[in-house]
Amino acid sequence: MKPAPTLSSAFLQPSGNALPGPLLSLREQRGTALVDMPLPTRKTENWKYSSKHLKLSDKLATNLPAGSATTSAAEDGYRVVFRNGVIDPQASRLPQVDGLTVQRFADLSDDEASALAGRLDNTLDTNATQMARLNTARFEDGLLITLKPDAVLSEPLFVIHEVTATASGSAFPRIYVDAGRHSQLTLVEEYVSSGDQPVMVDTVTEFMVADGAQITSIRLTAEDQNVQHIGATGVRQQRSSRFESHCVGFGGPLRRHDLQLRLEGEGAECKLNGVVVTQDKQHYDNHTCIDHVAANCNSEETYRNIAAAESHAVFNGRIHIHQDAQKSNADMNNKNLLLSTGAEIDTKPELEIYADDVKCAHGATIGQLDETSLFYLVSRGISRREANVLLTMAFINELVTQIPVEQVRDSANERLNRFFDDTFEEA
Amino acid sequence: MLSIKNLHASVEGKEILKGINLEIKAGEVHAIMGPNGSGKSTLSQVLAGNEAFEVTEGEVTLNGENLLDLETEERAREGIFLAFQYPVEIPGVSNLQFLRTAVNAMRTHRGEPEMNAAEFMKLAKEVSKQVDLDPAFLKRGVNEGFSGGEKKRNEIMQALLLQPKLAILDETDSGLDIDALKVVSDGVNALRAKDRAILMVTHYQRLLNHIVPDYVHVLAGGRIIKSGGRELALELEERGYGWLGIKEDEAAAAN
Repeated sequence: MKPAPTLSSAFLQPSGNALPGPLLSLREQRGTALVDMPLPTRKTENWKYSSKHLKLSDKLATNLPAGSATTSAAEDGYRVVFRNGVIDPQASRLPQVDGLTVQRFADLSDDEASALAGRLDNTLDTNATQMARLNTARFEDGLLITLKPDAVLSEPLFVIHEVTATASGSAFPRIYVDAGRHSQLTLVEEYVSSGDQPVMVDTVTEFMVADGAQITSIRLTAEDQNVQHIGATGVRQQRSSRFESHCVGFGGPLRRHDLQLRLEGEGAECKLNGVVVTQDKQHYDNHTCIDHVAANCNSEETYRNIAAAESHAVFNGRIHIHQDAQKSNADMNNKNLLLSTGAEIDTKPELEIYADDVKCAHGATIGQLDETSLFYLVSRGISRREANVLLTMAFINELVTQIPVEQVRDSANERLNRFFDDTFEEA
Repeated sequence: MLSIKNLHASVEGKEILKGINLEIKAGEVHAIMGPNGSGKSTLSQVLAGNEAFEVTEGEVTLNGENLLDLETEERAREGIFLAFQYPVEIPGVSNLQFLRTAVNAMRTHRGEPEMNAAEFMKLAKEVSKQVDLDPAFLKRGVNEGFSGGEKKRNEIMQALLLQPKLAILDETDSGLDIDALKVVSDGVNALRAKDRAILMVTHYQRLLNHIVPDYVHVLAGGRIIKSGGRELALELEERGYGWLGIKEDEAAAAN
């Protein structure tokens, strides 16, 4: 029998030593633990459909060089720019709001760094997120966002993750959000790229959400076709907090997002919306997991996949209701649209319920565009292309319009239009 | 305007239309009546270009142009409009967006500039009043959650907006109460014009009390077996289809 492939030692040599001592030691310690880490294979349940798309050649083992500024600081709006995993202070514009601090990992004092080192990864089930462990062994920089109790950022904070793929390599951006009681934040993460060499983005974002805090996380994944993207988002929610997630993703050679939430305080609620669009031979894999740990929590999850040409989309949604989580209310819905006979979508809702007084609903469907609806539209003189666009858009419109930041809606719509141009021919 | 010659059509290999001949001139209103399963709806769908039906023989021309060579959307742009017996619900596409897209597709085809959102909203509100449909319906998904009567009024509203040359009304009276029937009929009568023809397909003659046809045809077993004026409909109302040698149940069973 062939031994299971393990992570090449080339991946265990972090670069960059601008981080404070406690984070450097954490990185080293985590790196040591990854020696001989088995890589996911077809037999690894949570990588069943995606392991063959994970291509960890040694060429990707080096960190991409920190890019030089290509854009200047925005004139309005708050934003932080990661270039190849390292924050570019020149391109960033930070909010000045009482109770809110936004810091580079590199700028933390030893005490702050030591506190952070004790918390990194504590929102994630790292057994299920192998590649997040690699991020913790390799991150070169990171963003720590701290909201004191009652601090409110009324405008969204944009984090732009840019990779410049002029050479092969990887980027390991990292964000940690510590949201104090009754604080409020909308964080937008946009993943974009330039250049055409094969690269990997291995990214981790964590949210600690204290009592009554309200966090909205928006994530737009739209790198080019030379970028493998593996991301993990971990969330821990305390009493009466609310977490809203809007993910819009466009396919690539590999796109993977693990979204894990733990509802740990009574009355916490979360709402997760997701839209995935794939074309050509692209691959997109969303794994979500909601742990209802405390009683009286609500979760509502709506994901839509659209797969065209020979692309492949995967949705795996797990809801785990713990024994003490009575009166949990969980609703998960996944609908899928196949736009060609060569496309494939795999969906798997997983419910594990250990409490006896809960409401838990789930539904998953896979279908094609409805011929009767198409005929109705074209019988009014509407072109076939436009009818296809209207019906495809109808499938996801509800989720796109719910994205609470106009700028992101616009970018999503612009990318969707490109997808329609590629997918539906002019008559 | 519309000329149908020896039209044969089948669905899934089964012949439904077995040689239809019909001439409709501009300004005329024709009614096609017949029992269930006689091929009335098939004829409407074939004229509109539903690809589920295969035309095996015959020809159809609209103002001299071969209709059967045209795609569904091209037929619509040339002026064919079908008011569906069962209008389709399309959640996620707003009625307003749908109507504006359709109207602008027609305008573009005629070389006219597209209407912007504000202009169209004004027009749509006027026309929705004409069919007694609350303008709030414009914001809802296409036919989504509409009652049977609301769907039919929405069909007539589309006809009024698109101003077709030939409007085909497939069982437009089915599922309407008497008030809704009046509203729909008024809408259809508003469509009557010298340069436009109307083809009504109906099982009952009740609609014909409100929209008075110039000609009535009886369709049975995939053929027109009798044609006449308005009085033919009244006779059918009185005597049923039996006197023409058609047993309604058998006709349905045969199909």
